Amino acid sequence: MTDPGELILIVDDEPDMCWALEHLLNKQGYVTRKALTALEALKLMERHRFACAFLDAKLPDMDGLELARRIRERAPDMRILMVSGYFYRDDLAIQEAIAQGVIIDFISKPFLQAEILRVLET
Amino acid sequence: MGESIASLNNSPESQRYQQLYDMLLEAIPSSVLFIDRDLRIVSANRNFLGKNRRTLPDTIGHRLEEVFPAIIIDQMDFPGRIRQVFEKNFRVKGERMTYRAPGIPLRIYYYSILPFSWQGVVELAMLLMDDVTEQVRLGEEVRRVERHLASVVESAQDIVLSTDLEGRILTWNTAAEKLSGFTLHAVRGHNFFDFCADDDQGEMERVFTNLQAGKDAQMAEWDLKTRDGGRIPVSWIFSPMRDHLGEAAGIVAVGRDLTERRKFEAQLLQTQKLAALGVMAGGIAHEIRNPLAVCSSAAQFIMAGDLEPQFQRECAEKIHAGILRASMIIENLLRFARPTVAPDIKEINLTTLLAETLSLATNQARIAKIELQAQLPREPIFISGMEGLLPQAFMNLLLNAIKAMPDGGELGVALGQADGEAWVSISDTGQGIAPGDLNNIFDPFYTTAPVGQGTGLGLSICYSIIKQHFGTITVESGADQGSTFTVRLPIL
Ligand SMILES: Nc1ncnc2c1ncn2[C@@H]1O[C@H](COP(=O)(O)OP(=O)(O)OP(=O)(O)O)[C@@H](O)[C@H]1O
Ligand SMILES: [Mg+2]
Repeated sequence: MTDPGELILIVDDEPDMCWALEHLLNKQGYVTRKALTALEALKLMERHRFACAFLDAKLPDMDGLELARRIRERAPDMRILMVSGYFYRDDLAIQEAIAQGVIIDFISKPFLQAEILRVLET
Repeated sequence: MGESIASLNNSPESQRYQQLYDMLLEAIPSSVLFIDRDLRIVSANRNFLGKNRRTLPDTIGHRLEEVFPAIIIDQMDFPGRIRQVFEKNFRVKGERMTYRAPGIPLRIYYYSILPFSWQGVVELAMLLMDDVTEQVRLGEEVRRVERHLASVVESAQDIVLSTDLEGRILTWNTAAEKLSGFTLHAVRGHNFFDFCADDDQGEMERVFTNLQAGKDAQMAEWDLKTRDGGRIPVSWIFSPMRDHLGEAAGIVAVGRDLTERRKFEAQLLQTQKLAALGVMAGGIAHEIRNPLAVCSSAAQFIMAGDLEPQFQRECAEKIHAGILRASMIIENLLRFARPTVAPDIKEINLTTLLAETLSLATNQARIAKIELQAQLPREPIFISGMEGLLPQAFMNLLLNAIKAMPDGGELGVALGQADGEAWVSISDTGQGIAPGDLNNIFDPFYTTAPVGQGTGLGLSICYSIIKQHFGTITVESGADQGSTFTVRLPIL
């Protein structure tokens, strides 16, 4: 459960994807920060304590799952969600990452806004 | 010999003539017989005796039928002819005679019978026989060899034709008639160039100039025109025909119909393209799902209602832009996947073609954490080419570069023009190519990729596509130094 007012990190190299997630989350009262690369994301983490992160699977400078692992090292209790058009939900890499607790869930693009919110509320 | 004549006079002068006459008779390489009115032989030279294994005693004074086999006498009607010679002072000229007699090999003679007349009266008939057995045999042999060669040429599946040094057609075999629809009669004497496609004329002139200058076999590929207005792709080998002095006297061309091979090549191209599409599928899925996700989100905002007018407008714009982007990707994909059955040459803007191909590969690069550095000019660069083929060549180079950088890197794509040529360079910062491998990479099926991850056809197909566009493709690379492939194409 991520409470409104908490800080959420959005990482996607596609500015319009950031736009969509930002508007959705802001409307629900969440505060968001966005990063277009993994490096930017890690930098933001130095300055902010995020409750939750939405990661794209493929970033220009790093694999999304790799970024998730690095985030996990720094912030073990941060909830990480993968939002991507690249994998299927039952992809082996995704299944493993969920089993290992690297990410808490996977949402494929395009998604229903309700799905995103549901994950935040559980 | 010549006894009956010789016995007429015994003066020294006549003895002198006798000796001269004997010498002549002995020297000439023909058989000479003198025959009298009763068909008796009065004189025979050594040549005749030798050829017929006879002696003077069993010849002189004997009747013709005792010396010649009856069948010859009948066949040739010697008595009748000799009578004519005597009665009408008539000469029998140039007849052929096959001489078969027991115990001697078959001979063929060329004979004439001439009257010898003295003071208006025919005294003797002279039978002159030339042995032409060898010449006839040789002639027959030559004809047999000729017939054999002709039937080889005629039954060949390949076009076989010959021309003089200027290119005027002399012969044209059945295969040439069948393929072109033109008969030998229709083409003989016409210039071979007239039956070849116009766009190859420059190449043809080069080949013929080389042949005229005495160069050896020349190979070429150009199209043959057909009677129904079509074209057949043919691979040619031209060789100089030399005379007995070794000088070029004409030109022989052997041509093979490439239609089937072209079909096969087209299939191969398509297969390789599908394999490349398979590689791109993951990237393309991602590429399309991103704009779809943006559209979908924007639509959901609108459906939720109660929006600021400005945000509502923003949503609509995002939807519109997203749809355009997704359909553009699909369009590029379709264009790339489209089979190229009959590639037709037309004016192509290389700038847009490259940009479109690049957009298909972009996501592939992004997934592999590769930074794309594209330097395309703003202005169009026009070349003449095949729209269905060029993207495949560039895509193969792009995918190779991406494959060479499994841990990410930089993909540089640049386009420019210089000296009447357009150049495209595709460079990577990947593992590079070892100097020893540089010679092999353009070979079909040469690959260093693990089984199932590369057919090894990519570069060989690039090479053939670029060659069909009269361009060149070069590579600069070294182990761990990255690679740069440069394609040069003639500008319109
Ligand atoms: N940019 C490059 N960097 C390093 N090596 C390369 C590069 N391009 C080609 N090669 C080498 O040349 C080989 C042949 O390339 P080619 O494109 O013909 O086949 P492939 O890429 O292995 O397979 P395919 O293209 O059929 O999927 C490759 O296996 C690789 O070893
Ligand atoms: Mg390849």
